[in-house]
Amino acid sequence: MSLNGTMEGVAAAGRPRLDWGRWSAPIVVAGAWLALIAATSIYRHDFLSHQTLLAVTFTMSVVGVLAIGQGLVAISGGFLDLSQPSNLILSSLVVIRLSEAGMPLPVLFVAGILTGMAWGLVNAAIIVFGKLNPVIVTLSTNFIGIAALYLIFQLAQVPNNSDIYYFGRASFLGLPAIWWPMLALILIVGVFMQRTRFGRRATAGGGNRFAAQVRGISLRKTRFAVFTIAGGFVGFTSILFVSAAGPIEARSADLLLLNVIAAVIVGGIALSGGRGHFWMLILSVGLLSTVPTSLVFFGLDSDSQAIFQGLILVVAVALDGYRSKKGTP
Amino acid sequence: MHNNSGGTNQTKKNDLREVRMPRLSTRAISAVATFAMLLVVGLSFAATPAKAFKLGMAVGGNTCCEWMKSQGDVARALAEKMGWDYIELSNNNDPAIAVKNAQIFVQEGVDAVIQFNGQSGANAAIVQILGAAKIPIVTYDIAEPGMYFVGIDNLAAGIAGGESLGKIMKEKWDCNPDLVVSAEGSGAGLVNEWRTGGARTGIKNICPDIPAEKWVSFESNGSAAVALAPGRDLLAAHPDAVKIAVVGINDGGELGLINAAEQLGRADEVIAWGQDGAFITGDNVNPHLAGSVFYFLEGYAVYAIRDVILPISQGNPPPMKDGAGDPASRVEPCPVTAEQAKSVPDMPERVKQLLAAPFPTTEYDLFCPNKM
Repeated sequence: MSLNGTMEGVAAAGRPRLDWGRWSAPIVVAGAWLALIAATSIYRHDFLSHQTLLAVTFTMSVVGVLAIGQGLVAISGGFLDLSQPSNLILSSLVVIRLSEAGMPLPVLFVAGILTGMAWGLVNAAIIVFGKLNPVIVTLSTNFIGIAALYLIFQLAQVPNNSDIYYFGRASFLGLPAIWWPMLALILIVGVFMQRTRFGRRATAGGGNRFAAQVRGISLRKTRFAVFTIAGGFVGFTSILFVSAAGPIEARSADLLLLNVIAAVIVGGIALSGGRGHFWMLILSVGLLSTVPTSLVFFGLDSDSQAIFQGLILVVAVALDGYRSKKGTP
Repeated sequence: MHNNSGGTNQTKKNDLREVRMPRLSTRAISAVATFAMLLVVGLSFAATPAKAFKLGMAVGGNTCCEWMKSQGDVARALAEKMGWDYIELSNNNDPAIAVKNAQIFVQEGVDAVIQFNGQSGANAAIVQILGAAKIPIVTYDIAEPGMYFVGIDNLAAGIAGGESLGKIMKEKWDCNPDLVVSAEGSGAGLVNEWRTGGARTGIKNICPDIPAEKWVSFESNGSAAVALAPGRDLLAAHPDAVKIAVVGINDGGELGLINAAEQLGRADEVIAWGQDGAFITGDNVNPHLAGSVFYFLEGYAVYAIRDVILPISQGNPPPMKDGAGDPASRVEPCPVTAEQAKSVPDMPERVKQLLAAPFPTTEYDLFCPNKM
């Protein structure tokens, strides 16, 4: 080996190199989002407006918090929680009834979260003690929930001129008041999952069950906690949902699930568990919430929008499969 | 031995007597039994009441709308008043279930069926199944050949709502809105076209010179929660529109757009005129909903029973009228302003008062403050 060659090797080793595997996903998603914004802005100059920003961020709020719950389930190896729509409507109904009784906003938050956690607890108990497939269990509890909700109410909405009604229409720093909790939660959960023992255990359990068990991690306890906490995030979402959505009925949340799952996958959280960064949800939820707004600016009708959203989900699932093979986040 | 043989003879005699006696008894018993059976059969024929008329009701079963369940409640109460048997099934807003329900009605031997089926694609199959069993069908609001049509003239209701909104637009904006938005519910097919198309026609009747580029529409699915996000997107795509008029398939879809405008801070000059009256009563009415068109959907059974089912039960079926243009029974639309709507009770109270009123009083008779 020549001296020059040795020196070149040392120089190359010393130069900071871009870890492409680590950064490829956020760069691709952010790039797609920027490209979409740029293309729409070129087509319609009035796309870059405060109105568009409000429309997109309002849409992000509800999907974003639901995606945190769904992401927790996915990263811990639970695959998916398909009962989110039922849980959301049940928690929303509790919140609405309490708001009708004149309860203040903080009480509504606590009630929503506790109701969501109670639902999650039921899912967790069935999955853990029954040793059943989470997808089948949550699919079943969603069906049961929708049917039961249909029996107990038809339509419900928060009272006009109540605190929660104004919360859904308020803004802070030019953005919807309901958007900020979503942002805060994504950042907090992102740090929590990487820096705390529970977060690392949940991720490890999803990545390699055998290795996790060897390290003394109780998969049952972790899964129980994950489904309960994920239910709590759905309960939190109910406040944002009912404050903005107007009258709700038993199936009002059905259409949200597809976007939430797509946000988790596009955000790089592996459905098979063990991989993903929660802060990526800001990018994925932002991208997916911008798509329908952009399509309206392009003059496409609702049917075309459904086609685009379906295509995005297909691409996202393909990406998830590719990442699983490559082992990249 | 003798004694024995004498004893044997005596025994034989006794045996013969024993044999004869049952023969005689059997004849007598048979005669009595036959007579008794004839008597019982005769009496039972005379005592059996005529088979009660049996009404089948297939409710829509869409969770969107409280009135779908109430339609069944009213039909049940009226059937009980008439002394009929009643069986109710839910279509679950699912065409396959609607067809299955038709088969169940045949098995149950109903004499007539009333249905509301939002999934009208199944109607042809339902006509075939019930038609083969010679069971007449009444359908609410969505016409189908072979089914008695009872319902609103959706086109007339749309026009009435559009004209009411047009008058407000003329008074407030001199017929110069920035945007006229239609909240569509394309899943309802022709009903959607009639209501939203009728509303646009109604506005044009009052304000004929609104330019084509100001007319826009979006898919609301007839649900406020579903309409919210597309409503926000539509408003964002028309950032300069301030004076916004809203029509739609129903109150719920329009409310989605109103909520979207409130969230974008642009609701100051939004005026909507709804259809179906679902969100115009009670103490939680959005101030941007200027009025709506009541159909009093929950009370349709009065029309169906008065004009179709009752004559059928009396053996006098009416001629088949299966078109919305020439219905078997026409429900009158009732356009009301938000102010007028304050005097209209909410749905549970309306149902209560309807059932307390003498048949065939309609909700239109009882509650419409603005009879056409």
